[in-house]
Order: sequence, then structure tokens, then C-alpha cells
Amino acid sequence: MRVSRLRLKNWRNFRTVDVALLDRAFIVGPNASGKSNLLDVFKFLRDIAKPGGGLQTAVRDRGGASKIRCLGARQAPEIVIDVELSNESDKPIWRYEIAVKQEVRGRRQPYLLYEKVWNDSKLIIERPEKADGLDSLRLTQTYLEQINSNSQFREIADFFADVTYLHLVPQFLRHPAAYTGPGVPGDPFGRSFLERVAKTPERTRRSRLRKIEAALQIAVPQLKALIDTVDETGVPHLEATYEHWRAHGAKQREDQFSDGTLRLIGLLWSLLDGESLLLLEEPELSLNGEIVQRIPNLMHKIQQKRPRQLLVSTHSGDLLLDPGIAPEEVVCLTPDKDGTNALVAADVPGVVDMVGAGMSVGEAVLPRAAPKQLDLMVNRV
Amino acid sequence: MNRLVPINLAVEDILSEAAVKKILIEAPQDFAIGTTYGKRGFGYLKKAIFGFCKAAHTTPFLVLTDLDATDCAPTLVQSWLPNGVEANLIFRVAVREVEAWLIADRTRLADFLGVRESSIPCNPDDLADPKAVIVSTAALSRRRAIRAALVPAPRTTAKVGPGYNDTLVEFVRDYWVPCEAGLRSPSLQRALDRIHAFAPSWH
Repeated sequence: MRVSRLRLKNWRNFRTVDVALLDRAFIVGPNASGKSNLLDVFKFLRDIAKPGGGLQTAVRDRGGASKIRCLGARQAPEIVIDVELSNESDKPIWRYEIAVKQEVRGRRQPYLLYEKVWNDSKLIIERPEKADGLDSLRLTQTYLEQINSNSQFREIADFFADVTYLHLVPQFLRHPAAYTGPGVPGDPFGRSFLERVAKTPERTRRSRLRKIEAALQIAVPQLKALIDTVDETGVPHLEATYEHWRAHGAKQREDQFSDGTLRLIGLLWSLLDGESLLLLEEPELSLNGEIVQRIPNLMHKIQQKRPRQLLVSTHSGDLLLDPGIAPEEVVCLTPDKDGTNALVAADVPGVVDMVGAGMSVGEAVLPRAAPKQLDLMVNRV
Repeated sequence: MNRLVPINLAVEDILSEAAVKKILIEAPQDFAIGTTYGKRGFGYLKKAIFGFCKAAHTTPFLVLTDLDATDCAPTLVQSWLPNGVEANLIFRVAVREVEAWLIADRTRLADFLGVRESSIPCNPDDLADPKAVIVSTAALSRRRAIRAALVPAPRTTAKVGPGYNDTLVEFVRDYWVPCEAGLRSPSLQRALDRIHAFAPSWH
């Protein structure tokens, strides 16, 4: 199953969004245009649906409804998230829509203005229901987060709960002692990445690490082997052997890996991990351009083995150089004074013609993401 | 014992790189392939061609570009290199795209794509759009993986499918036989003749 259409109102820096999504979607746009915020919609739905989650924590973890709501919101200040889910045919099986507002006084709790679920175009849940009118507290929780109430649409709840996101920050792995204290819920930045690897059942872990090792042998010069190990105190580590003038090579642990090696390990692991919707934030970071050029093909190959949807934010012309990326797979974000507009690249005038004439989709869309008058920036410093 | 012939490459894309490397590996000389430049379309190659000419004084270069819509290869060579081609630089043009050279190995491509040999044209250099021919032929494939990789998804406007590069690079690397393909593609045969006869001259 995949998200085939996303509609938003007043979500962070978007006043309105209505985009169709395919099995892969590449999100491009200038800095601060909202690429991560667009991915965050799916993390938000996950935070509602996951065990122990819920609307209240999902909003609270984001600093309250006022932080989520678009600054450009005017007449209709409610936040609306409306998602269609389809299987391989494009006909939506499910549609889930919520509108969230915040109490204007008192505890300023977020509450539902409505929650609706459609199955095969038939409306099966429509809140507020009669019971919601009798007890207003009910509207502080979605049915999505309640096992008793989501039995009719458990499939949607499971789909959202399984959404994965990994934006591995190499420094977290390299200097664990410098980043103590409670981690961010869901560990999006990979601080506990090694524990996650260690907790994976042995056969799966070995099989994934073997594949990653084989890829690294090509991508990282001199790297010969990659294994997981545990130190004397029981802390898990990754260990690589490099070909070296010493007869048995030189061994290094993750604290000595390069940023690029760590990011590539994180990227490959997350691609191989699970079958749910995967959100990738700028997978090109720290990687050689030639490796980046291969990422779209890598994504395709993974999707052939396990059909999972991949949503990727990127600035990379190398990544978007691949001729197999269709303009329909790219979402262009353009900031405006009323908030950011999101448009599928195929609907941007000229893009389909440029790609049809042999330009890469990156050549056709990335220049749109460049800020105007950038030369002035240099003058002003 | 043959002496190693060092050579750098300059190509338009990943697929051309794979084709050129295969040709060099199967050539009678022992080429030592150095760096591959380009892989960012023909614009970069055209802009950098004089740089490659200069650099060819120290290391031989093999430059491969697609003819695309230019009417014939000599016109293209004349417009790129009006002062003639440097001795240590092999400049070749695939008519009209490197995909034609792949199509030229008809039997193996048919086998790889999982289609009948008769579905593959036997005059690759006459094709106006060899890429489109590969894609439309792959659409007939018996193999789901081939169709999924090479054919664009329904209702999308990409010219090729999402696994195009990777899949055709695999074909070139593991199956394609350049000298067989040369029998059907005159532009490939000329490239093979030139490469096989190449010996660097040192200044």
C-alpha cells in the first residue's frame, strides 16, 4: 500500500497542498521551503498511530498546535491532513482525513474538528459523532490511535504506525558520549542506530550486513569487510577491515568511519529495513556524486524486492540526473509570501517538454529552487 | 609482452562508460583505464573537449558522444574540433545513441530482454531514437523485472524506466559482445577499428 494523494491545509509552511504521489517521490525546493515539513506529515501520522502515541503527544512533541499551523493561515485556522492510500492500481482503497484545532483558552489542548475515514469511496467514520457531543474530551483523541475504535480501518493505523525515517547524523555515532540525555522519540537521527542493528534478529542482521558490506567494498576504497561486534561492556559496534600494508589489514570501529561511510551504511540499512513507507532526508549528504547518481537505481532495485514507497527530499542534481526519474515523481516546492506551494514537476510548465527533449529532471527543476538575486548574498557578507 | 596503454575516458553517461570500458577490455591491446570524465550529458563534453585534447599530450583519451539529432558524424566532429583531432585522442560518435550499439548485438539483447530476436531491429544505426526502441522492445518482455526496470510506469512521462541505467549497464558488462555488435552497426565497427589500431604517440 502507498500514499497516492496528499492534501493539506495550514500544515507548517503550507497553506494548501494537493499532490499525487507515486512509489517514489523526490521533494525538491529551496532551503527552508518545507521539504522536511512535508515529510513530517507522515511522521505526525505515525506518531498518532504508533503504540503509545496519539494526537496529544504528536502535537506536544512538535511544540504545540501553534508551531504546526501555517503562519499564513487566516480565515480557516484549522490544520487539515487528508491522505489517500492505494494499492498497485491507482484507485484509492482508503482515505483518512482529520482537522485539528487548538482550544482558544484553558489548557489550549489540540482537538479534532473532525475525523473521517472512507473505504472504497464509502464514508465509514464521520466524527464528531453523537457521543463526541456528549463528552467533548473524546475529540482530543483520534480513532486512529484507539484499538477499540479503529478496528474497521486497522490497515490505515498499521500503515501509518510503520512509517520509518532515518536521517543518520554521523557525529551521534562517532561521539556518543557528547550526546547524552533522553533521545528524540523514534531516534530519527540514528543515535541508537547500532543498538537497533544489534536488536535485529541474527539471520536478518547478517544478511543485511553482508549486502551492505558488498556495496561498501565497491563504494569505499580499501574497505574489505564489515561486521558487527560487541565490546567488553556489551556495547554494540560496527567494525570494518581495510586493506592495508599490514598482512591482516587494519581494523576500525564506527568512531573512525568517515561521514560518507556512516551515511551510506545508514542509507542502505534503512532501505533494507522493513516494507513500510520510508522517508529519506537528503540521502546525498557526504556522498561522492557518482554514488549519489546510483541512488535512484538502488531505490528501484529495493522496490522490486519489497514494494515500499520511498519519499526523498533532495538538493542533488546528481541524484536527479537519472533518466528513469519521471516528472510525475518529483514534487517542487516554491515559497511564496502566503506559504509554500507544492506542485508535481509534471504540472510545472515546460518540465515535461524539457525532459522529453533529453534533459534530466534535475536540470529541468533544480534551477527553479535557486533563490533569486543570490549574488547579493555574497555582497552582503 | 604487450605494454600497458594508459587511457582516460570522457563520456556522456553511465551507460556509455560501461560500453567504452567493455570495448577496451576486449581490445587486443592491454588498456589501463584511468579516470572517466563527464557523465553529465553532451554539453559538458563539448565544453571540455579542448581540455581533453591538451591532456591527451600526457595520457591518451577516448571520447565518446552520441550523434543525437546532428545530421552526420563528420559534421559533429568538425563543429567540436575544427582544428582536427589530436593524435592521442580517440574521438568517436555513436549513431545516433550508444543504445544503437547495444541493439546491434541482436541475439544477446533479445535473450537478455526476454523477447524474440525478430522484435529487435537489424539496422541500429538507422534508428532515429534507439532509446525508445529499447524501451518499446522491453515492453514486450516475458520478464516482469525487465519491464519494471526499462519501461516507464503508466501515466508518467519519463522516457525510460526507473532501472534503465543499472539494467543496461549489467547487459553491457556481462553479455554484450562488441565485435559481434560491430557487424550490424557501422558506427560501432568504425570505433572498434580505430581503437584496435590505436597506439599512443609520445611527445
